[in-house]
Amino acid sequence: MLQEESDLSLVIAQIVQKLKGSTLYAQLERQAWASLQRPEIKLESLKEDIKEFFKISGWEKKLQNAVYSELSVFPLPSHPAAPPEHLKEPLVYMRKAQGSWEKRILKSLNSMCTELSIPLARKRPVGEQKELLNKWNEMGTDEPDLSLFRPVYAPKDFLEVLINLRNPNYENGDSLSFRTHLGLIQVPLKVKDIPELKEFFVELGLTTGQLGIDDSTQVPPELFENEHVRIGQKVLAEQDSAAAQQYIRQGSPTALRAELWALILNISSQPEDILYYEQLKTNVIQHDLLVDSLIYKDVKLTASNDDYYFVFEDYLYQVLLCFSRDTSVLGHFAYNSASPPKSYIRGKLGLEEYAVFYPPNGVIPFHGFSMYVAPLCFLYHEPSKLYQIFREMYVRFFFRLHSISSHPSGIVSLCLLFETLLQTYLPQLFYHLREIGAQPLRISFKWMVRAFSGYLATDQLLLLWDRILGYNSLEILAVLAAAVFAFRAVNLMEVTSLAAAEAVLADLSTLKVMPLLQIFLFATVT
Amino acid sequence: MAGKVKWVTDIEKSVLINNFEKRGWVQVTENEDWNFYWMSVQTIRNVFSVETGYRLSDDQIVNHFPNHYELTRKDLMVKNIKRYRKELEKEGSPLAEKDENGKYLYLDFVPVTYMLPADYNLFVEEFRKSPSSTWIMKPCGKAQGKGIFLINKLSQIKKWSRDSKTSSFVTQSTKEAYVISLYINNPLLIGGRKFDLRLYVLVSTYRPLRCYMYKLGFCRFCTVKYTPSTSELDNMFVHLTNVAIQKHGEDYNHIHGGKWTVSNLRLYLESTRGKEVTSKLFDEIHWIIVQSLKAVAVNASPSLTSSTANDRILKYNLINDTLNIAVPNGEIPDCKWNKSPPKEVLGNYEILYDEELAQGDGADRELRSRQGQSLGPKGGRSRDSGRTVLTTWK
Repeated sequence: MLQEESDLSLVIAQIVQKLKGSTLYAQLERQAWASLQRPEIKLESLKEDIKEFFKISGWEKKLQNAVYSELSVFPLPSHPAAPPEHLKEPLVYMRKAQGSWEKRILKSLNSMCTELSIPLARKRPVGEQKELLNKWNEMGTDEPDLSLFRPVYAPKDFLEVLINLRNPNYENGDSLSFRTHLGLIQVPLKVKDIPELKEFFVELGLTTGQLGIDDSTQVPPELFENEHVRIGQKVLAEQDSAAAQQYIRQGSPTALRAELWALILNISSQPEDILYYEQLKTNVIQHDLLVDSLIYKDVKLTASNDDYYFVFEDYLYQVLLCFSRDTSVLGHFAYNSASPPKSYIRGKLGLEEYAVFYPPNGVIPFHGFSMYVAPLCFLYHEPSKLYQIFREMYVRFFFRLHSISSHPSGIVSLCLLFETLLQTYLPQLFYHLREIGAQPLRISFKWMVRAFSGYLATDQLLLLWDRILGYNSLEILAVLAAAVFAFRAVNLMEVTSLAAAEAVLADLSTLKVMPLLQIFLFATVT
Repeated sequence: MAGKVKWVTDIEKSVLINNFEKRGWVQVTENEDWNFYWMSVQTIRNVFSVETGYRLSDDQIVNHFPNHYELTRKDLMVKNIKRYRKELEKEGSPLAEKDENGKYLYLDFVPVTYMLPADYNLFVEEFRKSPSSTWIMKPCGKAQGKGIFLINKLSQIKKWSRDSKTSSFVTQSTKEAYVISLYINNPLLIGGRKFDLRLYVLVSTYRPLRCYMYKLGFCRFCTVKYTPSTSELDNMFVHLTNVAIQKHGEDYNHIHGGKWTVSNLRLYLESTRGKEVTSKLFDEIHWIIVQSLKAVAVNASPSLTSSTANDRILKYNLINDTLNIAVPNGEIPDCKWNKSPPKEVLGNYEILYDEELAQGDGADRELRSRQGQSLGPKGGRSRDSGRTVLTTWK
């Protein structure tokens, strides 16, 4: 009992510490002072009266949402004496692997820089600044020569690194047994099996209504949809983050989704947020970064060619260029196994006083990065709100898809979960694909790294991301990947090469995700 | 009279020919006995012109109604709508109700439009009322965005002035007919760009009116950001969405051709604007289509040229579903056959309006209200209740 209590007080202390620096704290203080004027606040019962006032006026709810947000994002401390690296990643060999991967990326970036004789950053001349400001809303029409730029890395490069991950403390002997993992990932991390997944994703079960299934044409709306919409409106009226997160496990009605996501991510567009975004925009105008060209190239190669997202090309620049310069993003490295790359002012290599993080937000974009932003354009068309939502999605979820860690939602665990599900529940298929040189992970990896963006139809993708928010976990990506293979198993059993397998799985745009997930988890005989 | 359907076409497009061949239909020439003739607009004109006096026999179908140009030619369309409105007003129909400013409540879907050179003076009077407005000039008989331009000064259309000193009786008749409409310069923009809607409507019979809308319509986007600034009036890439024009813009992308499906549009609008507004928008679009059809006859050829691979697939499926409805069961057409096709045959079409069903008696009231309201992305669903609705489809 004592241990739990001291754990809890530790958590509380940490959260209080974090919130003390926030705008919410300042607002609450102001409100408390202002409330002294009110007749119902009496000196004898000051504390209770103010607390009551906060409850009635909705400020308590705002505080609750902020606390809930902190709990969702920050991992609970394991031990008060644990060093900060453990918060990032508890396993040493993972930390080491991430470290060497980062070195490689930075080396690649630096050599591109040297080859092209382009500085990592430079201040724009005034004329150029003016031009960019004029073009701010249509940067897509710009045609800079990007032919010499190449993405710093692509998902498949990253996959090779993951395949070579080994735990030096793990020795499973030479003999093959039925326990041998036949997939590409060879590290022993704990992943959920189907019974555990059924429990975790209980709201996706057959007897619970879902958007994505029970709102189809054949089902009369009175059975589920109307009531679900009504509840959604109520949740929004209450402005309760926790309730919203629970609600959205069954999917969000299209008209309510933008607000629900904002509520769950605890985003409200305050004037200071808009100002902050404008500040970032100014940074973009004044300085040119090498990563900007990488961003341009990525957008042109991916989002601009996408059937759904090409319309929003210009928004993507407006978000990603600002994102690169946002130093507040550095905060998430406290719980990300990755660390921001350091660079040095010209001529001062190694001197810590002249070290800067590069890019300013510490995140080097890779091929396909812009696809994290693209689906959000269907929900938010005001740039600063779009920006805030994306940033929060990144520091809560997306960063885990391209850093090496043991976290259950980290890409390594997702890959292992995917392979284990396939090997355990579709052993014939798995074995067959392996035999013909088509390891399933080689095909599904890119889906998971991008959280399926660009592979599914937009409405389906949004239903999937509803559940990511609802369960505060990315594990659903691995489950969906396995479900897709299960769905196309018959065709896959007939192919005889990796290329043919890729072809069978090339087009996911007609898939309906919720039925697939439901069948895989709840209706397959295991 | 069993046997294979005999077809002719004068349009060499694979989306057509593949569809005919897959049904096992037999290709013949136009001089032989044919059942189905997919005609180009020119041929229709010739076949049905007063001089030839050609009459279709009972087992022949063509792909256009003889008076299709009543809707394609812009001046005729405007005339027909104006005439239709006046007729309804005369009958005292509730559809023709006006508000206190004299605007039609339910039939105000064409912007102020005049025929040139015929209505030139009327136009000038209107122009002078709001001299800073922009107007759009469209040639009556052209398509694909050809010959369209914007004006904001009277001097730009001097040519069409009836009083122009250079005009004589002779030159007037060679002046090309144009319509000029008030330009709507605050269009809905997505991603900062203007777009239009390409919807496919099939009219199988005109009396009673039976029409179907293809669910897979699409939006066409401009490649350049929209600006109402007058300096860009000449930039057709900003203002006109026709693919034929956009194709030549620098930023035209050949993989997607600047198009979205209507269901994408719907998803975007519902997400950013809410469900009610979006449903209302689509209801009003359907309303406009039905009213326009009632005012006139049917349309001419949609472009069958496919610009992208996806586009080709879309058009192939479109023609496929069209043929399934028009020539049901692949049997030789019989003009006496007049029943509504069963639901399974519709494919990606949904019933836009079926006059017979709409005029069903009291017992069919339920069916009728469901029928008339069966639109939206979910075929058979009834609308949200409790809205003040443009009441009558019937």
